[in-house]
Amino acid sequence: MKRIRLFFPELKRLLKSRLTWLIVLLTVISPITGLILYKPATASTMLSMYLANPAIAGGVVGGVLFGVLTVYELDRSNRSRVNVLMDAVVSPLSMALIRLTALIASALITLALTILIWLSISWWRIGSVFSGVDYVLAYVLMMGLALPLSILAAAAFYQFTRRLDLSFVLFAAFAGLSLTVWAGNWQLCWLNPCVWALSDDFSNFRIFRSVTYMRLTWLVALSGIWSLSYLCIRRYGKDLFRSLIWNVRRICRPIIALLLVICSGIAYAAQPMVDHSNPDQTVMSFYEVPYAQDVVCTNRSAQVLPDTAAGTVSGKAAYQFQNTSGTEQTIAFGINPGYTVSSVQANGVNIPFTVSDYQEYNEAMLETSIPAEEQVELVIEYRGFPQEDYNMSALQGSAEISKTYVCLQNASLSPRLMNVLPDEGMYPTTIEITLPDSMMVIPFGSGKAEILAKNNDGTATWQYESNGTGGILYAGDYIRENIETDGMTIEFYYGRRHQDVMESAGAVDAVKSVVAYCTEHYGTLSFGSGDTLKLIQSRVSGGGYATDGASLLDEADFTASNLGDGSKGTVAGEVMIHELVHQWWGLGNMFDSSDDTNPWSAEGLTVYTTYRIVKELYGESYAQENYVKQWQQEVDDYYLNYYVRHPEALEMLPSDKQLEITGNLSYVRQYCEMPLKILKAQQLVGGEEAMDQILHDLFNRELDPAYPYLTYQEFLDACGLTEEDLNLD
Amino acid sequence: MEINIRNVSMTYPNGKVALKNLKLNLKAPSLIGLLGPNGAGKSTLMKLLVAALMPTGGSVLVDGQPLAKTDRILKEKLGYLPQDFGLFDELTVSQFLDYMAALKGLRDPKAAIRKTIEEVNLEEKAKAKIRTLSGGQRQRVGIAQALLGNPSFLIFDEPTVGLDPEERIHFRNLFSRTAQDRMVLLSTHIIEDVQSVCDQIVVINHGKILFTGTPEQLIKSAVGHVGVFWEKDAFQEQGLHITARVNTSQGIRCRAVASKLPAYAKEEEPSLEDAYLYLISKEGA
Repeated sequence: MKRIRLFFPELKRLLKSRLTWLIVLLTVISPITGLILYKPATASTMLSMYLANPAIAGGVVGGVLFGVLTVYELDRSNRSRVNVLMDAVVSPLSMALIRLTALIASALITLALTILIWLSISWWRIGSVFSGVDYVLAYVLMMGLALPLSILAAAAFYQFTRRLDLSFVLFAAFAGLSLTVWAGNWQLCWLNPCVWALSDDFSNFRIFRSVTYMRLTWLVALSGIWSLSYLCIRRYGKDLFRSLIWNVRRICRPIIALLLVICSGIAYAAQPMVDHSNPDQTVMSFYEVPYAQDVVCTNRSAQVLPDTAAGTVSGKAAYQFQNTSGTEQTIAFGINPGYTVSSVQANGVNIPFTVSDYQEYNEAMLETSIPAEEQVELVIEYRGFPQEDYNMSALQGSAEISKTYVCLQNASLSPRLMNVLPDEGMYPTTIEITLPDSMMVIPFGSGKAEILAKNNDGTATWQYESNGTGGILYAGDYIRENIETDGMTIEFYYGRRHQDVMESAGAVDAVKSVVAYCTEHYGTLSFGSGDTLKLIQSRVSGGGYATDGASLLDEADFTASNLGDGSKGTVAGEVMIHELVHQWWGLGNMFDSSDDTNPWSAEGLTVYTTYRIVKELYGESYAQENYVKQWQQEVDDYYLNYYVRHPEALEMLPSDKQLEITGNLSYVRQYCEMPLKILKAQQLVGGEEAMDQILHDLFNRELDPAYPYLTYQEFLDACGLTEEDLNLD
Repeated sequence: MEINIRNVSMTYPNGKVALKNLKLNLKAPSLIGLLGPNGAGKSTLMKLLVAALMPTGGSVLVDGQPLAKTDRILKEKLGYLPQDFGLFDELTVSQFLDYMAALKGLRDPKAAIRKTIEEVNLEEKAKAKIRTLSGGQRQRVGIAQALLGNPSFLIFDEPTVGLDPEERIHFRNLFSRTAQDRMVLLSTHIIEDVQSVCDQIVVINHGKILFTGTPEQLIKSAVGHVGVFWEKDAFQEQGLHITARVNTSQGIRCRAVASKLPAYAKEEEPSLEDAYLYLISKEGA
């Protein structure tokens, strides 16, 4: 009770200090560094750029500042000898606890001020996709919790060493570890959480959960370490060890400290977010499981019930097997390592099963034996929190399950059959999924989801058919636009929060123009299924991908920021065209990862095609003015650039500066130099029609499955030109 | 309130022996003057009494209870002014006292602060930042925080350092008034302060108690050991400690203490300072 009474005077005293207010002020403005200097979230969504980065940077800067303040404040009373007055009145142990809580309270006040001050700035920068919940969660989790962690760590260091200089060194080393060696480990980077992206359109609960888990683990760990340091507070003029011996006489103190440390260790080891997949990604042992002899799968179905509040899944998957071997056969499934299998039944009878501890590519192996009967129905019941791949632990967020968005992939949707061949080359599959009725279910493929039933609890059960052992399902608050173009129906799905952006960018018209132009000039997309193609705007995923009948568009391509990128198109609608052209150049025809020394990438052909479409839509002079002249200007500037003319000067710069400059330069080469080279090639091969034919042939060429990428040499060969022919001197 | 120091010894981790087998009994109400040369062990003794240090031998009992187990209770009754202390410079005098009042858990801090500020003559500086105060004013803030809340046991270590003579008189009178119903332990080098207000004296040197009793008893112990003489009449004497040397028109007049006064010295009535110096010199011999 006395400690609570002392808390307010201590906080009041702390807030009278000019240094405290300087730290508060610097912390409040520190998110600005996330807009300029420190951008750990590399995705280009609005929330990544204008929320995650400022919040994380605020946490890093604020954490360091509050660590400094903590050490300074703790040392100050010793240095100035105020402690001799205070120790005569209050026990140094009580005072340490009161000081700690006051420092944490001042950090919370700082966080509240930061949230208030940055609200309008963030809202303005993020625009129509701004979300209040994401905003508060991002600042509380990514910034706010860094402050008490820093305070606990710094206070612990001081209480152990009782020296200002040593405490600063230890705290700097601890923060430095998080920013360097531990930066890629989502559990260890206590100061700067591993957040590579926040979604604008869809929810972010998965990544928020992950950050919360990491922060709470550290909170418990550092509370434990602080509690141990609390036992080292010097008393009665004794040295560290004698004080420790004296302080542990109240046995509850060391017990609490040790319990906290042990709990944090358990929390670290038993984390539920990421699996233990083999880090050696060249090993693919699950694909080498021998196929069951004389067993085929004739049908499979799954009833999936995501709990959107808890982020968990429960499901029941049924498989029909025809076993003509006359013996028991071992069947293997890949299952998400976060799931627990509650039962496996064969023809209604419970049968034993095992789930491997070994995990690979986000799957554990479930093995069971089906009886020697010709027709076997195997039913697997499972539930749990889907874990993400260990190897992607720094890029978490893909297995999102929330009240507004669901993404379930392969073994997270239902157990993936590993070692049974299909009957007549097909795995006919029926999936039923029950979700809040505000959600639209979109199977990633040619299957069409339909509502089977609307339930009384505000949910709807959807059903769709597919074919395969796995499958991907998206669900969310989507808007669907059916776009008819040249005999093909494009089902264009995008998030409702993006409606304004999509409408103002003329997304539907862009889709029409691109599909008409590219289909006519280059050919149909290989993943178009018959006369229908789904274009699905997904949660930020670091790129798109396609399957038969569906193609994924990364939401990052449709942010207000990206649509305003002048190098991709003059206005938002033209950037939209650019991004859609990537369905042909980038996805329909893949390109190997580009390097800084070569302008060749998917961007060159995409920018060139965008220019051609714009030329067709708005005329030659518009396209010349807004594209060709712009490229030429950029390329002229590029060749005048000091570092291009003096590469040796570039090599003398620090590596991060070098990276920044080469990144900017390679951007110009890919987005401006390459389109100019293609234009030159167009002239040399005889004009637009000839180039269109070359590109058509390249687009439809026979692919080498081992290296399916379109190379610069293939392009040059198709044009009958050499690299020198395309020099822009 | 009663404090019983039982065979207390204190040896610092660096091996320095500060107190040796100290025995002392202090009872309220009293104003006890703690005298001793530098390094005698006065501050160590005070730190032991405020539980800032733990003795390496013996025990301190407060109202019959070992201090090691009741230091929390003692802190509630204690007002302490150490010799060397700091203040929060960014606070005003009132704010600092308000903070200390909160630490002491005072129920009506405003009235207590007002009263204490008046007692230490800092009314004009109540709203001033501590960083703007002079050394004497800071010392007064230190005294004020010790007096806050009428603690039943007050310990002042060199409280009048940095104060002008008028202030010194003011404060020793204040200590005297305070000690009417409480126990006040006053450590000082200024014998005059002790003589004026203390009803009991403890003299300590080399970690041992040399004397406990009233000032009168201490003075009485020096009768016959204080004398005056002209320097020109004096020889090199063993055991003669000159305590004053005054230049006059007839020559240099000296005052000295000794176990046995030389024949050329004329016996004088001892002062408390003479008695103290006699005691210390005797112990040194």
